Amino acid sequence: MRRSRTLALTAAAAAVVMVVTGCSSSAKGGSGKSSAGANDANAGGANAAVKNIVNASDKKGGTVTYEMKGTPDSLDPGNTYYAYIYNFSRLYGRPLTTFNPAAGEDGNKLVPDLAESLGQPSADGLTWTYKLRAGLKYDDGTPITSKDVKYAVERSNFAPEVNSNGPTYFHDLLVDNPDKYQGPYKDKSGDLKSIETPDDTTIIFHLQHPFADFDYLVSAPQTVPVPQAKDTGADYVKHIAASGSYKFESYEDGKQAVLVPNTNWDKSTDPIRKQLADKIVLKMNIDQATIDKDLLAGNAQVDLVGGGVDPQTQAQILRDDKLKAKTDNAYGGRLVYMAINSKVAPFDNIECRKAVQFAIDKVAVQTALGGPIRGQVANTVLPPDIPGHQDFNLYETKDNKGDEAKAKDALKACGKDSISTVLSARTERATEVAAATQIQAQLKKVGINVEIQQFPQGKYLTDSAGAPQFTQDHNIGLMMMQWGADWPTGYGFLQQIVDGRAIKPSGNSNLAQLNDPAVNKLLDDAAVNPDRAAREKIYGDIDKKVMESATYVPLTDFKVFLYRPDNATNIASTPAFSGEYDYLNIGTTK
Amino acid sequence: MTAPITTAGNEPEAPASPSPAKTIEGRSLGRIAWTRFKRDKAAVAGGVVVILLILLALLSQPIESLFGLDPDASNTDLLDADLGGLPFGDWGGMSGDHPLGVDPLQGRDLLARVIDGSWVSLLVAFGATLLSNTLGAVLGVMAGYYGGWVDTLISRLMDVFLAFPLLLFAIAISASLQGGAFGLHGLPLHIMVLIFVIGFFNWPYMGRIVRGQTLSLREREFVHAARSLGARGPFILFKELLPNLVGPILVYSTLLIPTNILFEAGLSFLGVGIQPPQSSWGGMLADAKNYYQVDPQYMVVPGLAIFITVLAFNLLGDGLRDALDPKSN
Amino acid sequence: MFAYIIRRIFAAVVLLLVVSAVTFAIFFLLPRFAGETTDQLAAQYIGKNPSPEAIAAVKSNLGLDQPLYTQYWNFLKALVSGAEYKFGPEPATCHVPCFGYSFKNHLEVWPEMTSRIPVTISLAIGAAVLWLVSGVTTGVISALKPRSIFDRLSMGVALAGVSLPVFFTGALLLTLFSYEWPILDNLEYVDFTDDPLMWARNLILPWVSLAFLYSALYARLTRAGMLETMSEDYIRTARAKGLAERKVVVKHGLRSALTPIITIFGMDLGLLLGGALITEQVFSLKGVGQFAVQAISDNDLPKILGVTLLAAFFIVVCNLVVDLLYALVDPRVRLS
Repeated sequence: MRRSRTLALTAAAAAVVMVVTGCSSSAKGGSGKSSAGANDANAGGANAAVKNIVNASDKKGGTVTYEMKGTPDSLDPGNTYYAYIYNFSRLYGRPLTTFNPAAGEDGNKLVPDLAESLGQPSADGLTWTYKLRAGLKYDDGTPITSKDVKYAVERSNFAPEVNSNGPTYFHDLLVDNPDKYQGPYKDKSGDLKSIETPDDTTIIFHLQHPFADFDYLVSAPQTVPVPQAKDTGADYVKHIAASGSYKFESYEDGKQAVLVPNTNWDKSTDPIRKQLADKIVLKMNIDQATIDKDLLAGNAQVDLVGGGVDPQTQAQILRDDKLKAKTDNAYGGRLVYMAINSKVAPFDNIECRKAVQFAIDKVAVQTALGGPIRGQVANTVLPPDIPGHQDFNLYETKDNKGDEAKAKDALKACGKDSISTVLSARTERATEVAAATQIQAQLKKVGINVEIQQFPQGKYLTDSAGAPQFTQDHNIGLMMMQWGADWPTGYGFLQQIVDGRAIKPSGNSNLAQLNDPAVNKLLDDAAVNPDRAAREKIYGDIDKKVMESATYVPLTDFKVFLYRPDNATNIASTPAFSGEYDYLNIGTTK
Repeated sequence: MTAPITTAGNEPEAPASPSPAKTIEGRSLGRIAWTRFKRDKAAVAGGVVVILLILLALLSQPIESLFGLDPDASNTDLLDADLGGLPFGDWGGMSGDHPLGVDPLQGRDLLARVIDGSWVSLLVAFGATLLSNTLGAVLGVMAGYYGGWVDTLISRLMDVFLAFPLLLFAIAISASLQGGAFGLHGLPLHIMVLIFVIGFFNWPYMGRIVRGQTLSLREREFVHAARSLGARGPFILFKELLPNLVGPILVYSTLLIPTNILFEAGLSFLGVGIQPPQSSWGGMLADAKNYYQVDPQYMVVPGLAIFITVLAFNLLGDGLRDALDPKSN
Repeated sequence: MFAYIIRRIFAAVVLLLVVSAVTFAIFFLLPRFAGETTDQLAAQYIGKNPSPEAIAAVKSNLGLDQPLYTQYWNFLKALVSGAEYKFGPEPATCHVPCFGYSFKNHLEVWPEMTSRIPVTISLAIGAAVLWLVSGVTTGVISALKPRSIFDRLSMGVALAGVSLPVFFTGALLLTLFSYEWPILDNLEYVDFTDDPLMWARNLILPWVSLAFLYSALYARLTRAGMLETMSEDYIRTARAKGLAERKVVVKHGLRSALTPIITIFGMDLGLLLGGALITEQVFSLKGVGQFAVQAISDNDLPKILGVTLLAAFFIVVCNLVVDLLYALVDPRVRLS
């Protein structure tokens, strides 16, 4: 799961992911047809950037200022796992493929970037071939070759002692060398045999098993080319070789980065980037209240983290129709849920799990999580903005407000009058703790006595909720959690949290420890199925199977609440990056 | 964080008023102090408020059940969900049922929470003060009385402790012990950790004061007299010196408590203090910080609670110091 | 005098060594109390699902598998003679003074930390000047006219000042003067050498909110000290000798009343130089304090250790300077 916000000491609301097909806002705008530069593209209004590119403009010049709370894990494309850096890094680095800079569904579309077309899978699905565009150069004028892409994948996936932040999908998916590849730092002469570069513009990946979403995988900044001669390990972040439309003018760790146009970037090799602003400044470690005020005053154009404004700025904006017209309330492709630990008694009994499903008043929980602005009540695991989502509700209660009678019946069927268990939550997340407190009170009414235990979020998955033995030892039957996908497909969303084979002794994301052979098989089927529509149907089926097991209690589908200043151009909220604005072509009229 | 070393300099009464001394000749030191204290209206007011606060903290549970206050009961029906969970109404949801309003997101009664928070805030402040002042008094009196290598050792120890960046240390330690340690977790752990981090590094301030006082007392006649009558070290320490140190210790403690209350609030502001759902004034203030422009009521309640408490302790402390000051005797 | 200075400096160095040892012990022992193993510590360095071999490699590379005292010794050695780490494409040299590499972004701690010092120094010195001037002046006037309206009013304000949390005053000032009436907007640290005017303009609000707290304390201190000295015999003597009142107050009264204040000032300034954690947080200043808060929230041990030592260093140095100043002014101090 990509992370969206730094682990700030002060309470942090969180955000990752995407947008909207059936968003409630569709009442306002046209048909949902959304293409850049369309007639109504410049029309403002609430949620305009969820459907169209707002303030579409080709005006050049000016300085675009990004501000962020905290610091990113790294701006090094090979060493990051934050959705907003995935988004931002495209300004200075070009992955093989990337997401179309557009609003709504169009933003979910993959387009070739460094590659001249999407990948060519072999018939058996085990080999993927990409061909690089001609005439690509780094900011120093040297040519970009496919070997640099290969090197980038090697350094980001096989050298955890240096580049530890990013995910390791390539490591897990590519065929390893017979003698276990040690990474480019330890093994200077060797290389990973399963990535072939027969010439300077071709790159071929050999997979252990078919993987239909591979094009999504190579959209990660881990395929942004890195010249081996320039790689200085952890220090590389201080002088990143730029392949995108901007290059680094300066970088001060924890303070700010300044980007200027890359003169060696050639528009003819790049159909999606515009290179509008004269300068892009990223300021780090800014107080969220200050960021909000700077956005409202037009001093800054974008809040990089993209989770949305502070609660009080939000209330101020909502009370003012003029301000409200400049906001976007988009789905963040993220589910807020409570996992029921199927390995901790008495929740190994499905009836006891059902009692929890019925007991919860989701509307009250939604309020504690910040109200409908911060998320719609959810009844399925897949959020509505992930292709394959189907609407259904297996545990219906009146108005989603819970049903004590049904819950008590289920409890009886489970053979219990009362249950004592522990509910875990993350200390730094004020709303998560508030929601847990709500749930505690609701469960008490049906005879389930819950003790809330809080853990620091930095260790939540490694040492507490994500360590099955720990949950066993501490009677943790219920766990608060949020989940966003690494890429916007059902597989990207579901695999880590429902695949029984993904359960790990530490860093486990399948908190419910659901291990259903039927679910596992469906996942495998989807991974190899080349037909997109068929895959999406399977994701819906998996969702149903998971809900039948009653192991996950979906609470809300998270939404971001973003403000777009008047002087920012080409603003589009994209589902591909957690509902954040697409950062590729934001300019300014300032 | 600056500890109020203020007490080191004894603040005398204004030179104009030593005359009453004549009329109260022959009374005990305590009586004199009490007479003088009574005349200081601000100090008396502070004292009354402090007593009320302590009673409130001690009786918070019975008071809550008596008035049917529940600090954890949520009232989501009082919240405007469409506005992000803010209370309905201009004054933070003030009503007959909730005289001070309710908090955002959960709609919990603020009066109940502020009462419930009183015992945590005072417990932490008192606990930390007790810890640092006991350590400071014991080590200070030993250093002052024995002198020699004992004094050198303790004084160097004080130097070491004073060289620690207090707030930084407190944050780092509380942050790393958040999850659970020493077989404790949750509220008891957080209270223990706060008392420890606030109290343990603060003792040298008290230590220096007591050491100085002991040094001067050591040479006074009554100590010499006791010694010539054959009294041993421990006896002199506890029977002769300590009673005479009660004054400064009391004054300094009264002035350290408000500093510690602010310290706890500061730690909570940075997110490493008492954790929810338990309410604490610092925690409420840190929470309210996110709403101060749209729901100022929420910040005012714990803010005033802290301000009044700190002010009352400061007034009481100032008054006690003036009253007990030997110079104006 | 020279011998005294040497002795004091030597004592300061020993003090720092002790502080570093204790800090080191605390931060490497505390996680154990909280139940963390060396493996988990090493895993923090690597991130996602590390393999056992990778953990073992990190452990031996960072020396986490060695006994605590060996680790401390290596830490000291790196501090004075640098160190070499076998990560990355080439063995990386960590230059003197080497505080090691961040667990989070694997960059050298020392250069990152020192780049924050100018901000914190600007903040601390500016605020200190402000509170010294305003606090001492208020205190003196109050003491000269005790129980006057000025005295009662300023002491009332002072009492409020010490009773208000700094994050409250800071947030209030920021809202009022930066956004409500934007006379001081776009606050962003500018180096003094680049533009002294902008430097001062952009630091006024943090200076004022810090100074409010401290000047309240110093006003109370000064008032108390002045009241005490002004009733001393030698003041009466000076007056009797017909010295002008102004001279009595400034030369005799203030001078001895300020002596204890200088000591406290040394301590306060030292503490602040190690980072004004809350103020920097409120005003988004990228100083040492902000660095510390970030390090703590990232649980980044080498950074926490480094910043603690830096803060201790400032405290010790400030105290040392105060001591030396005393010795310079008052020869008796040197002998004791």
